[in-house]
Amino acid sequence: MQAILIDDSRAMRLILRRIVGQIGFDAVEAEDGQAAMDLLNSMDKAPELALIDWNMPNMNGLEFVTAVRKEPKYREMTLVMVTTESEQSQIVRALAAGAHEYVIKPFTAGAMIEKLALLGLVPQGASS
Amino acid sequence: MSDVAALRVEDLQEIVEQVWSSYLDPEGIEPLIPVYDDIDAMKTDMHASVSITGTWHGHVVVACNEPAAKNCSAAFLAMEVEEVGEADMMDVLGELANIVGGNVKSMLPPGCFVSLPTVVTGEAPHYPSAEPVCQLAGHWMGDPFVITMWQSRGDGGDAA
Repeated sequence: MQAILIDDSRAMRLILRRIVGQIGFDAVEAEDGQAAMDLLNSMDKAPELALIDWNMPNMNGLEFVTAVRKEPKYREMTLVMVTTESEQSQIVRALAAGAHEYVIKPFTAGAMIEKLALLGLVPQGASS
Repeated sequence: MSDVAALRVEDLQEIVEQVWSSYLDPEGIEPLIPVYDDIDAMKTDMHASVSITGTWHGHVVVACNEPAAKNCSAAFLAMEVEEVGEADMMDVLGELANIVGGNVKSMLPPGCFVSLPTVVTGEAPHYPSAEPVCQLAGHWMGDPFVITMWQSRGDGGDAA
């Protein structure tokens, strides 16, 4: 399985790469929403999972989710916002735009894996 | 000036504990040890900040010295301290400010926006039209770490 990690912080992308690597994902990275769209458009097959920061330059996470949801070819991709935006209204906006789930920074590896398990994205035994 | 949503040092402490347990000290062996006296004497030369605008105006600044920034980066990036470069420190401190600022925002009145982080070395950023309203200082692995929330003077916020 493949994940795309979209965050303007290299440190956060690295943390996310370590976590999804634990449960068997290969990862590609993008530093903002626009770079992620460009990367997706160059790929033969869309990743199964996108972990998306909200606050990024060029194209933010909400704009990215909105753009991805307009493209039928990305319909199967699970979109998870990974962000400090914890206001209820912001969560509702992201979910309304098409995100499947929400993880608030700071998060532990266990919390992230638990969330992905709820989405059916953790193969049995992969996190043990 | 509007009430700063009664943000307290304890609130900053709670955010910091979450950051430490998630990224900097998952084993719980190197917590930030709070310092209450002589905070002004704590020497910091790396400062990461985010601005908050909207219904409340101000800044959240995360400050430390270079050894603390190196330790932070090593923990975040799973590197040896000796391998940490300046770009690593800038990126990690910026992300720390982003996380702390974002969580502070959630305690403010609705309708606030957080900027992208800025990281500077040397002199601390000065905000002539703002004043510090909440500060948490401590030592982490023997080095200073200070988080300060500044509120713009006369700030009633855009929606006030």
